[in-house]
Amino acid sequence: MGLTISEKILAQHAGLEKVAAGDVVVCDVDYAMVTDTRASNTIKLIDKIGVKDLHFAKKTSLVMDHYSPPPNLEAAEIHTQMRSFANKMGTTLYDIGDGICHQVLPEGGHLTAGNLVVGTDTHSVSYGAFNAFGTGIEGTDISAVMSTGKLWFRVPETIKVSLNGPLQAGVWAKDVTLHMLGRFGAEGLNYKAIEYVGDAVAQMNIDDRMTLCNHAAELGAKAAILEADNKTTDWLKAHGAATPKPVFADADAVYTDIIQLDTKNLTPQVARKHQVDDIVAAHEVRGQKIQFALIGTCTNGRLDDIRQAAAILKGKKLASGVRMIVTPASRKIYIDALQEGLIEILTMAGASFEAAGCGTCVGITNHLVPGNGDTVISTANRNFKGRLSNPDAEIWLGSAATVAASALTGFITDPRTIEGGDWRATSWA
Amino acid sequence: MGIMNMQSVQGIAFLLGDHINTDLHCSGKYLPGKSIEQIAEIAFDSVSPGLAKAIINGGGGILVAGENFGINSSREQAVQVLKMMKVKGIIAKSFGRQFFRNAINNGLAILECDTSSIKEGIDLTINFQGGVVHLADGSVLPANKLPREILALIEYGGLIPFLAKHPDWKFST
Repeated sequence: MGLTISEKILAQHAGLEKVAAGDVVVCDVDYAMVTDTRASNTIKLIDKIGVKDLHFAKKTSLVMDHYSPPPNLEAAEIHTQMRSFANKMGTTLYDIGDGICHQVLPEGGHLTAGNLVVGTDTHSVSYGAFNAFGTGIEGTDISAVMSTGKLWFRVPETIKVSLNGPLQAGVWAKDVTLHMLGRFGAEGLNYKAIEYVGDAVAQMNIDDRMTLCNHAAELGAKAAILEADNKTTDWLKAHGAATPKPVFADADAVYTDIIQLDTKNLTPQVARKHQVDDIVAAHEVRGQKIQFALIGTCTNGRLDDIRQAAAILKGKKLASGVRMIVTPASRKIYIDALQEGLIEILTMAGASFEAAGCGTCVGITNHLVPGNGDTVISTANRNFKGRLSNPDAEIWLGSAATVAASALTGFITDPRTIEGGDWRATSWA
Repeated sequence: MGIMNMQSVQGIAFLLGDHINTDLHCSGKYLPGKSIEQIAEIAFDSVSPGLAKAIINGGGGILVAGENFGINSSREQAVQVLKMMKVKGIIAKSFGRQFFRNAINNGLAILECDTSSIKEGIDLTINFQGGVVHLADGSVLPANKLPREILALIEYGGLIPFLAKHPDWKFST
């Protein structure tokens, strides 16, 4: 019996010939990430364990993203603690505005194909876009990793999902993952690893592939992983990553399920208020008014997302009464968008840019608070009631193109209906 | 440090329903400034008022839940709140992935089992070695037996105490 990609990566890192779903294995971790929400507790635990020489610190990034910029003194003091710890121990530090953990890790060349990467954030599944096994862990886990370089894992069952496209113009990975949530439900793939294959995956660029894997967190998945192709290895090399060691599933790998999805006929999707798995086609909710449009987060704050928004809003103005905020996922993306003229296009349309970070996703930084009764359309991954600090506001989710189209009309809008939206402006390269 | 006897855990059943998520019911996320002790006293009040106080006053108990206990926010605090409440163990039809991990890493006895026939207040015993749950009425429920490595982590009181004794990660057979 053969192995899936996830099983193979875990077996390799456990020094075993093979593993099976359900096994508990101890693996050598390649890289680890700690965000500011878990840093304080992690530093405390490491101190308690009392390891003096923290070898693994060199393979760890500390990232200030959830509190970027810090909304209060407590957050600012956590950042001070992180800077001092990084300075002392030699961890890589990403400071305020540098970007969201899941963007700066691959951008910084910290991971490559075939790696095992852990992070103190649920969306660490994003690294699967690079053929790495990425998964979210907690404070106890990360302090064990930093102290010993190892961690225990239960080998997940793998489900294979074939995306049979290609996707239509105006339809993106976000729409695929929202469709998956509608089909399987939130936590519907709890504990499982997802392997996405098919021509729609091959068609996607790296930005879109990161969205595809990132959103698997809402499905409850432990990992979401893609095969590496030329796009993957070229991107990794361009970002200074170590030599990719692509891992492929065996032909006789055992999957708990194999799903065929028709992504050729998929249309833009949205998640309705409060529930990430209450999914409808964007055109079915025509007439739903919005007051806030948000583009950003680790799910859809990348250059390609900002390009989609610019393609729709170029030379136009936001609908009356609509506020729009864009938070690029990293400083690098901010600069790229600036150099491409996208910031000018969107700012002239009426949007505001804010610091790179998690501010448009979770109401910690007070980047924005929607008013009572406001409806927000966002590219974020979660829309739980109260997520943006106001339980009396609604959050709907869609692709960057859908969010921009909705900001233009003032109603939730299928981006394919916007005349002059130039999809060639977005790269499939 | 003594190792907990993980042959079995015994206690009174306190029932909870399906999809009890950590965000709303046992995390401090929406209770800024509250300590774990304060949260422990009111945990689950929005779904089962008085439950936390009853468990604390009764000197502990076993939580019995339905599907997807502990989904959403992954914070480890959710498990620490349960330990503060003196919860001896928790059984449910299924758990959120990270909650399950956090329970093991913090030495909280946890087991997956079809809990639908368990009545509030019944005395029950979780038999970890056998992978079954015994009810006071004599019935025996099959459960998903935990691998020995996970049992070892729970027995030591969690991952950090385990590593203090076994820095090489060797699970004795």
